[in-house]
Amino acid sequence: MIAASASLRPSQTAVPRDIGFFEWFFDADSWAGATGILASLRDTVILCAAVTLVAVAVSVPAAAILAHLRRAEVSSTWLVSISRAVPTFAIAALLVPWSLERGWGFEPWPIFIALLLLALVPIYLNTYTAIRQLPEGPVDAARALGYSERSILTKIEFTLASSLIFSGVRVAAIQVVATEPIRAFLGGDGLGRYVRDGFGQNNNTLVIGGIVLIGGLAALTGLIIAALERLVLPNGVRRLARQQGDTSP
Amino acid sequence: MLDETAPTDISIRLTNVSKTFDGASGAAVDNLSLDIERGTIMALLGPSGCGKTTTLRMINRLTEPTAGTIEINGVDVMSQSAQELRRGIGYVIQQVGLFPHRTIASNIATVPTMLGWEKSRIAARVEELTTLVGLDQELLDRYPDELSGGQQQRVGVARALAADPPVLLMDEPFGAVDPIVRKRLQDELLDLQNKVSKTIVLVTHDVDEALRVADRIALMNVGGVIEQLASPDELMRAPANDFVKSFVGQDRGLRRLALNAVSALRYHQGPVVDGGATYDDAEQVIAMEGTDWLGITIDGRFAGWTKVNDVRAAHANGSPLADVERFDPIAQIEPTSTLRAAMELIMSSNSSVAVINDGGSFGGVVTLEDIRRALSSAHIETADGTL
Amino acid sequence: MTPGPLPSALVAQATNPIIEWEWVVEEWDQIWRAIVEHVTLTMMAMALGLIVSAFLAALALRRRWTMTPITATTSLIYTLPSVALFALLAPVFGNLSRWTAVLPLAGYTLLILVTNIVAGFQAVPPSVRDAADGMGMSRARRIWTVDLPLAVPFIVTGVRIATVSTVGMVTVAAIIGQGGLGRLIFSGLRRAFWTPMTVGASLSIILALVIDAMILAIGLWLAPWQRRRKGATP
Repeated sequence: MIAASASLRPSQTAVPRDIGFFEWFFDADSWAGATGILASLRDTVILCAAVTLVAVAVSVPAAAILAHLRRAEVSSTWLVSISRAVPTFAIAALLVPWSLERGWGFEPWPIFIALLLLALVPIYLNTYTAIRQLPEGPVDAARALGYSERSILTKIEFTLASSLIFSGVRVAAIQVVATEPIRAFLGGDGLGRYVRDGFGQNNNTLVIGGIVLIGGLAALTGLIIAALERLVLPNGVRRLARQQGDTSP
Repeated sequence: MLDETAPTDISIRLTNVSKTFDGASGAAVDNLSLDIERGTIMALLGPSGCGKTTTLRMINRLTEPTAGTIEINGVDVMSQSAQELRRGIGYVIQQVGLFPHRTIASNIATVPTMLGWEKSRIAARVEELTTLVGLDQELLDRYPDELSGGQQQRVGVARALAADPPVLLMDEPFGAVDPIVRKRLQDELLDLQNKVSKTIVLVTHDVDEALRVADRIALMNVGGVIEQLASPDELMRAPANDFVKSFVGQDRGLRRLALNAVSALRYHQGPVVDGGATYDDAEQVIAMEGTDWLGITIDGRFAGWTKVNDVRAAHANGSPLADVERFDPIAQIEPTSTLRAAMELIMSSNSSVAVINDGGSFGGVVTLEDIRRALSSAHIETADGTL
Repeated sequence: MTPGPLPSALVAQATNPIIEWEWVVEEWDQIWRAIVEHVTLTMMAMALGLIVSAFLAALALRRRWTMTPITATTSLIYTLPSVALFALLAPVFGNLSRWTAVLPLAGYTLLILVTNIVAGFQAVPPSVRDAADGMGMSRARRIWTVDLPLAVPFIVTGVRIATVSTVGMVTVAAIIGQGGLGRLIFSGLRRAFWTPMTVGASLSIILALVIDAMILAIGLWLAPWQRRRKGATP
């Protein structure tokens, strides 16, 4: 399967040109192996999941605490503009030499950091806004009842804001999955490889395969997180969010 | 532009005008007929939902009537395009609606610019109007958000008057400012009207505003029904039905005090004599009026009050009447003062009468009884006997 | 110049510097052409995006019910993976055609532009509209001289955001050979020569910032009344 030349990276796929998409998709061989669909899928999912989890772990507490304390107001408006302007590709490209210099290779740091920056902003923004815009009522009542500030934040504010926070995570995750394919063009793996190799070999099957897989995964990500939200959040919270006209950004 | 030389005295005539909005169960305005005389201020007064704003907006066709005709200076409003019509009518609304992106000068110049006046004529007109509404010229280059509410409303009026329309429509124009500014703006409107004499239709829900400003009031009820059409004083004096009574509220009599002038009363000489009169004359007057105070006039001008005791003492001494110690009157009013002002002064003076200062000369006195009698009579006669 | 897989032998060689200034000077022509191409693509995408957005916004403003489907569609387009979209259109228009890149780029701007244009027009105070109508302005005149100027600040914000993100996105279009500065990045990557990569990537970021500042300045010039601080004189 792999061309004999030693100058080729082992990750390149070689596929006969006259196979149509469906044949390729349903061929067991396509799925197997280090460059198979399964492996690529795994690479992409692992990276995206890692980025999203780290982004959540960093952004959510930071945003929640700042929002609770009513600090860092100005940054939100500024962040909205920034959030759509992160040039992920350029950042990742800039980080490649740096990563290589350190001996870490092409992956995973450049793409990881670039995608992380992309994911941080929508999650931070949604969390901050969600908690900041909560009505004073329940929070004051909780304080009067004797809850500690920390409990207020974790038990009340967080719960009430959770629907919006989830939608921020969903938006971030979809954006990460949608942007991740550029990784293949920067010396990496993942589902983007099919588009890359397809172009390189002038093989439309691979290109189409890549497109379908990438698009499918992006759609699936949205659905998975929505399902997750349904599982995790209590009914009352979701009802409340719907009443307040929760529209994702 | 509207024809200003039409022969009738009626500037605006609404005939059987109705308006039903789409999907509404009832008519907002049902078969309303109203005449508005040229050069007068007509207030459309009533509770919310009575159709007063709808009626106003039909005059300049911002709302098109479902039935009926509206004529301005004898010309049907439907006979020209709505835009043309509106350029000949001034329109002032509560939130003013100044263009935030244009300077004050540019705002005021809106209609003249649309009509194609030359720049110099526009500039001159803007300057003229700025002075007319009492604004500082240096505000002209500012933007609306730099002005206070009262200033903005004045700009709104200036803008409406820019092309010198004969008709001015105002929809709760002073509602958005505080009461003190509101009163001042109302006074300025009356002042303006004296200078430029427009036909003004003013919508308001504030009874006091209507009473202060209007020449006639159309008190409206839900559905655009006119419950009473009358002058402010008549509205207070003879409310047509219970709705009117309850809408205008209590203290009708007291409010009428502010609506009528001293000139509406009959004056009398009162306990006042000329400085050159004899003591016998003085004693006669004192006996007739039965007061402790005697007023002295010199050369037709009211010169002050003297105590009767001092007068008698002077008589005994043989000194002239004119030399008796005089006290300046607190209560002096003019024929144009309101009865309310007169009453206010009488209450706070020792003499229990108010002295009338008619252009410098003594005009007579009025008492509380005079005021009461006048208000309770069916008509108030003016000094020359007309109503 | 589509990128291929990277020679593993060269991976080990990390001896060349992040940026070699002599190369920059020597190859300035190439760099400049890349910048020009980058800006051209951005402008083409923005122009197309604005025209379509203006049309969509007008529709959404006239018939309220279309707002939801329009938002849903433009959001959907926004989340389409860029790599997939460029790849999809390549066979349709061919790798050498600008439209392969411009169409998706324009598509990505729709969401923010439509949202902002609609918001801008909706932000015009109803009293201002009423006053304009009452003074006898025709609808067209009012929209042109009153509504539009007042909507400009919102529209400019949308244009800023859309332009900056388009600049970033153009670099990705290099995968189909239409990338301006993105091509520099790839050419460097292929040869494991970092200078063009660094130059390409940094310039695309700098370009975005410069364009952002320019649009901001234009926005302020167009809307002088926004500059003044609010404060009423007594």
